[in-house]
Amino acid sequence: MNDTANLVQGDPDAPFWNAWREGERFLLHRCGICGRHEWPATCCIEHGLKAMEWVEVSASGVVDTFTIFHRAYAKELAAEVPYALAVLRLDAGPYFHTRIVGIAADDVQSGMRVHVRRGQQDPFPLFVPA
Amino acid sequence: MPQPRHSGLNNMRGQIAIIGMGLTAQGRGLGATELELRRQALENALAETGLERSAIDGYIHASHEREDIRYLGLSPNFSWPVQSGGATAPSTFAIAAGAILSGQAEMVACAYGMAPSTPQPGAARGPLGSFGYGYPSRVGMIGAASAHALHARWHMDHFGTTSEHLGAVAVQLRQHALHRPDAITYGQPITLEDHQASPMVVDPFRMLDCCRDTDGGAVFLLTSAARAKTMPGVRPIYIRGMGFGHNIRNWHGRDVYAHHDDIAPAAARAFAQAGITLGDIDVAQFYDPFTISIIMQLEHYGFCNTGQGGPFVADGGIARDGKIPANTGGGQISGFYAAGFTPIIEAVKQLRGEAGATQVKNCNIALSSGHGLNGGVQNTWSHGTLILGNEP
Repeated sequence: MNDTANLVQGDPDAPFWNAWREGERFLLHRCGICGRHEWPATCCIEHGLKAMEWVEVSASGVVDTFTIFHRAYAKELAAEVPYALAVLRLDAGPYFHTRIVGIAADDVQSGMRVHVRRGQQDPFPLFVPA
Repeated sequence: MPQPRHSGLNNMRGQIAIIGMGLTAQGRGLGATELELRRQALENALAETGLERSAIDGYIHASHEREDIRYLGLSPNFSWPVQSGGATAPSTFAIAAGAILSGQAEMVACAYGMAPSTPQPGAARGPLGSFGYGYPSRVGMIGAASAHALHARWHMDHFGTTSEHLGAVAVQLRQHALHRPDAITYGQPITLEDHQASPMVVDPFRMLDCCRDTDGGAVFLLTSAARAKTMPGVRPIYIRGMGFGHNIRNWHGRDVYAHHDDIAPAAARAFAQAGITLGDIDVAQFYDPFTISIIMQLEHYGFCNTGQGGPFVADGGIARDGKIPANTGGGQISGFYAAGFTPIIEAVKQLRGEAGATQVKNCNIALSSGHGLNGGVQNTWSHGTLILGNEP
């Protein structure tokens, strides 16, 4: 056996990063059998990898929980504190960790509806209140 | 969702005994290498039991180093690194039990030694942000405190837990540690006002909600109960039951933040093996890097109702004379941080009657927990439960 046809080549998450970088498109990994969405790249817990594909979804959801960093744990974050690091429940299903911007950190609340910010060339998808 | 399964092979109760516990000092900046801490802990365990080095025929270490058995002068049948973060400690016991019960070794040393507050020779400093993990670190999610803060915020939002409840945990732990010379905060009381005045780090955690890294070593010697009975002068502590659960299950199930680990399957297996119920536990030693950890574990083990962990602690529930005395050495927050070994060390001290000013009377069965090494994203840690007893 020397079959590489079914091996994912390179970083399994690359389609997500490439789509965001090239066109601010927001992709998730979706099982074509049951329709369950995942992030990061993940085997479906029922159907494995065989029907997983990258699909564009509406990048919106609800803040499930969050924390506010009052300390910078890396020098490149020094100008950002205080910042709100939130875990979203995306409307498509999975959790997504991001920063909530466009609002004071202290005004972030659980249950708040948010959507991705576009047009700022953010290297990582950041979210703003809907 | 896949449900946890039980093998039905629950016959190990009381078959494995802890016959030695060797400890070094536990504190900030001890100045020794991690290897040296394991060396001294091993020597202390051997001295306590009267065993020679040659008796150690299995070595399990909570590290990735290869040098241990050369430096320590050991000649075991195997030397296995085990890494499950803060759940490593109970994991080493499970693997030691398996090695003993499958005839691979008779006397296994489970060794820990870490020195995060002492510079180590040859250690390369990691890049900034190396305490982050996976994609969330790219937006500034760095450090264990922030991950646990997500649980704390969720708990506050759903159950009305307050910063003062978190503070009640910190004050209670300090109450324990205040009277324990083996704690780094011995003789240093704090009040709820001190907690509220301590600086916010990762909201809702203040400085006094968090543990500090400390240096220290610990070696436990495990053997069969049958062998333990032949050893004069040793005081065996028996493994009554153990169990593990992994919170990646709740990630797949999209219910992570309600769960401080997947405790249910770990507890179910451990209690079934031990043949006891919650009411039989005399003392609980939880893995507690942050105050929320105690609140959520009290709830998930069933010592109090869901959402009521904060008021339970504020009402004295984990005091020495409370409903379930817990983290009686001050835990990781006020005692010392020896990863998952902190709770086991205190459980063994309590069962031996060596817990000094916070000794619980008639302490015969102890619960101990470990927690760590996420399954690919923060908050998906492994959880280990140990039930230890003075009787098999």
